Amino acid sequence: MKREAPQSIADYGPLFFPAGMLLVFFVVPFGTMIAVSFFQRQQGGFYTPAFVFSNYERFLSAFFGGVLGFSLMLAVTVAVCCVVLALPFTYLLSKLPRRLQVIWLVALLSVLSLSEVIIGFAWSTLFSRTAGITNILVQLGLMKQAVALSPSFGAVLTGMVYQALPYTVLVLYPALVRLDPTLMEAARTLGSSPVRAFFNVLVPALRNTIMATLIMVFIFALGSYLLPQILGRPQHWTLSVLITDQAIYQSNMPFAAAMAVFLVLVTLGLVALTLLIGRKGEKA
Amino acid sequence: MSGLVLNGVTKQFGTFTAVENVQLSVPHGTFVCMLGPSGCGKTTLLRMIAGLDDPTGGTILLDGEDITKVPTHKRNLGMVFQSLALFPHLSVGENIAYPLRIRGKGREDQKKRVDELLALIHLPGYGDRPVSKLSGGQRQRVAIARALALSPKLFLLDEPLSALDAKLREAMQVELRQLQQKLGITTIVVTHDQREAMTMADTVVVMNGGHIRQAASPIEIYRKPADTFVADFIGSTNLIETTADSSGAATVFGHSVPGLVLPAGLQKATISVRPEDVHLTAPGNGAINGTVTFVRDLGGTIETFVEAGGKQIVAVSTPRARPEVTAGQQVGIVLAPDVCVVLKQ
Amino acid sequence: MDTMIKTAVNRRTVLAAGALGTAMLAMPTVLRAQDKSLKIGVYGGYFKNSFDKNIFPEFTKATGIAVESVAEPTGEAWLVQLEQAAKAGAAPADISMMSQVAMIKGQSTELWTPLDTAKLPNATNLLDRFINKYPDGRIAGIGAVAWYITLVTNTDVYKEAPTSWQAFWDPANTDKLGLLALVSNSFLLEVTAKTFFGGTNALDTEEGILKVFDKLAEVKPNVRLWYRDEAQFEQALKSGEIPMGQYYHDVTGLAASEGHPVRSTFPKEGGIQDSGCWALSRASKKAEEAHIFINYMCQPAIQATLSRKVGTAPTVKRELLDLNEKEFAAVSSDIEPILPRYDLLTSKADFLNQKWTELIVG
Repeated sequence: MKREAPQSIADYGPLFFPAGMLLVFFVVPFGTMIAVSFFQRQQGGFYTPAFVFSNYERFLSAFFGGVLGFSLMLAVTVAVCCVVLALPFTYLLSKLPRRLQVIWLVALLSVLSLSEVIIGFAWSTLFSRTAGITNILVQLGLMKQAVALSPSFGAVLTGMVYQALPYTVLVLYPALVRLDPTLMEAARTLGSSPVRAFFNVLVPALRNTIMATLIMVFIFALGSYLLPQILGRPQHWTLSVLITDQAIYQSNMPFAAAMAVFLVLVTLGLVALTLLIGRKGEKA
Repeated sequence: MSGLVLNGVTKQFGTFTAVENVQLSVPHGTFVCMLGPSGCGKTTLLRMIAGLDDPTGGTILLDGEDITKVPTHKRNLGMVFQSLALFPHLSVGENIAYPLRIRGKGREDQKKRVDELLALIHLPGYGDRPVSKLSGGQRQRVAIARALALSPKLFLLDEPLSALDAKLREAMQVELRQLQQKLGITTIVVTHDQREAMTMADTVVVMNGGHIRQAASPIEIYRKPADTFVADFIGSTNLIETTADSSGAATVFGHSVPGLVLPAGLQKATISVRPEDVHLTAPGNGAINGTVTFVRDLGGTIETFVEAGGKQIVAVSTPRARPEVTAGQQVGIVLAPDVCVVLKQ
Repeated sequence: MDTMIKTAVNRRTVLAAGALGTAMLAMPTVLRAQDKSLKIGVYGGYFKNSFDKNIFPEFTKATGIAVESVAEPTGEAWLVQLEQAAKAGAAPADISMMSQVAMIKGQSTELWTPLDTAKLPNATNLLDRFINKYPDGRIAGIGAVAWYITLVTNTDVYKEAPTSWQAFWDPANTDKLGLLALVSNSFLLEVTAKTFFGGTNALDTEEGILKVFDKLAEVKPNVRLWYRDEAQFEQALKSGEIPMGQYYHDVTGLAASEGHPVRSTFPKEGGIQDSGCWALSRASKKAEEAHIFINYMCQPAIQATLSRKVGTAPTVKRELLDLNEKEFAAVSSDIEPILPRYDLLTSKADFLNQKWTELIVG
C-alpha cells in the first residue's frame, strides 16, 4: 500500500492524542523539573526563578556519589535477582496445565495489589527478633536464639525482590508462553539435559526479552524509596529517599529536582549503554 | 536383536488412550514411515520413542537395551521436528555444532564435522549464515544435518516436510531416502502423506485409533491391505461385499467369481479391488453386469464409474487399454481372483 | 505512601488510621450558616476530627460565630497554598494551625497579620514561649496546641525507667534505639546540646553545631531504626523489638493505658516540646472574628478540655488550670522542656540537613 503524504491538518489527527499524552504526562512535568532544578533555593522560604548551577554543584560530591552508586547497585542487584528467580519459575509455570497457570497468575496479581507500606511492614515483622521467622528456626532446633534480620541489606533486597517479582513474571510470561516448546525438546534430543538446555537454548533465545525485563525491573527498583527506609539502615537508603526528604521535608524543590534530573540522566545513560552492548553482541 | 523393538507400548492421557498396546520391531537400518490420519497416535508413539513422552505401559528396546526409562538426552538419537526447532540465536554452523559442543567435542573436530555435514546436505559454505536468512528447504536440511551430527543410532522425523511446497517436498523425499540409504541409519518418519510414505519407506506402519493396523512394505500395504481401514486409507479402492457358498466359492452381486474362494468357515466378507484391477468388457459372458454412470477422462488415465448391484464400482485404465464407453452404456465387470483381497472383519 | 509523608505537625494521623485518606483532601465542614463566620485550618485527620467534635460547636454556641474547618494537607503544602492565595488576595482559611518552622517562613513574606494584644485579654494566661513574634516584636501567632517528645522504653526490657537522655549514649544499649530520621523533626541536636553542652545555646555558632554533631555521632551504633513512619516504631516499641527511643509522650501514655509494656519518661534534661500556632492570613477579612477565636482558645478551661480530650499539652500557665496531677502528667511535665531551635532549622536548614544526612547515612 502506498502512503500519501498528509495533505491537511486533519490528516495529522491520529497523532494529536499520543502527542498530547506525551506532552501532558512527560514533556511538561519533566520540563518543569529541569527548570526547577536550576532555580535558586530560598532557605526558610521556597525558591525563586533563576538559572544557577548550585543545586547540581551540591550534588556532585563524594557523599551523593556514594548514595547514587549504592542506589544503582541495589537496583541492578534487585533486577538480576528477580530475573534469576522469575525465569525458571515462569518457564515451569508455562508448562503447567492452563487452569493452574491462571490460579498462579491471579495469586501473583494479588501481590501487586499490596501497597509498598504493607509489604514493608510484613517483611519487617517476618524479619523481627520478637515475631520473625528465626523463631520458627529456633523451635525446629536449627538456631539457638531468635535474631533480628532487619534492618539489613538482605532485608531491603528481599523486600524489593518480593515487590518486583510479580512484575517480572508477568513481563516474562507472554514470551515464555509464545516460545516454541520444541526448541527445548530439540535440545534434549541433541544431548542436553533439561537444565543445560534451559541455559544454552532458552536463555539465549530469550536474550532480548530478558534484557528488556532487566531494564524494567532496574528502573522500577530505582524508584523505590519506602522499602529501603522500612527494612534498611540509613546506609541502605537510596537516592530516591534523599530526593523525597528534600522535596517533602526540606521543601528544597530545586535540589530535589536536580537530584531527580541527574538520576533520570544516569538511568537513561545506563539503559542506552546496555542496549548498545546488546546490539553489538547481536552483530558479532 | 539389533534395532528398535516396541513391546506393548501404551500411552494414556487421563481417560483418553492415545496409543494402545503397540508391538513393533524395526530392524537396524530400516526406513519406517508411520502413517495415519491426525489423532491416530503416530506422533505420540514417536515422542515416546524419543523419550519426550513417558509410556504408561510397555517397554522400548534399542539394540536389546531397555531404554524406556532412559532420559531423552542419553538415548543417542537425532530428531527433526515439524517446526524444525532451529535455534534462532545460533548460526547454521553453530546449530549443527550444538550437539557436538554439548558432548564436549574439540573446536577442530566440531568444525570438521560441520563442514562434512554441510557438504552432505549440499550447503557447503553456509556455516556462518543466520538461520533466519535461509529458505524453507535449506532450513530443512540444516535441521537434518544437526540431528545427524552425532551419528545417532536412531533418526526420528515428525512430519518433517509438511511445511514445504509440493514440488520441493517430492524432491526432499527422494533426497532423504538417498541420504538414509547412504548412512544406513534406522529411521522413523511420521507423516500423514501416503505418497511420502510410499516413496521413502522400507516399512509402512499404518495407524488408526492408537493401534497399528498394518506394518508391511509399501507394495504389500497397497496390494494386500489387512483391513478395510488400510485398504481405504492407502490409495483408492473398491470395497465390495461378497458371500460364499458351502464350498467357499464367492459370489459378487449374485455373480460367481471364478477362482475366488473365501477362507474356510467364512460366509460373508468384504473384498478390496483396486480400480486399476477392474476390467470392463462387453456385458454378459459371465461378467458382472453394470451401467456406466460417469466417465472422467484425465488424459493420462480414465476413471469409469459403473453402477452394479446398487453399488458404485470405479475402474481406472489407460485410454488405450480400455474399450470406448459412454455414460448410460451397459458394461461387464471382470474381477480376476488374484486382485481381490479378502479383508479381515 | 500516605503514612510516610508525615511530620510532627500531623502526627495525630497515627491515631486515626481511617482518616488518613481524608487528610490529603481539604474538605470543609460547615457547622451552621450564620452572619458571622470563620474558616479555620486544622491539621487533617485526628486534630480536625477532635476539634470538630470538642471545640468548634462550643465556640459557636458561646460567640455566635460559625466555623468552617478546613483540613490542612501535609508537609508545607498548606503554607505554599496560603502564600499563593494571599498574593491573589484570597484566603483558603482565615486562621490556620501552623508549625513553628512554617511560622518563621511565613514571617519572611509578612504572610501573618500581626495580632493585637488589646483584643486578646486571655493571652496573659499563656506561657511566654507560646507567643510567636516577628523579629521587631509584633505578634505573628499564638500557641494553639503543644506536645512532648520524650524518652520512651519498653517496660519488659527496661525494668527501671532511664532518667537521662544520656541513656542513648550508653554502650549497653547497642542496636536498641529507634530515633526520628529527620533533622527537622527529631530535635536531637537540641537534646545533645542540652544534655552535654549545657543548653541549646551551644548551637549558636557553626563550630558549636559541629561539636554537637560529633557528640551525636557517638549515638549511631546504638540506633537500630531511624524512622520516618511513626507506626513502625510504635509497633516495634510495643513488641520490644526496639526497646528504647524517642516518641510522643501522650501517644505512649495512651498505649501504656491500653496495657502495652511501654512507658514515657521525662528525662531530667526535659522533654522536647513541639507546638503549633494559630496564625491569621494577611488576606483574611475576618480579623475581628479571628481575635475572638484566638482569645477564646487561650482560656484555661478550653486548654484543660484540649488536654483531656485531645491529649495536647496546655499552653497556659499550670496554676490557672483545673487539671489534676494525673491529668497533667498525661500530657505535660513541670520539668523545663527542651525547646527546638526553629530559628536554626530555617536559617541553616540546608547546612543542618546536609550534615545530618551525612551523619546518619555516611
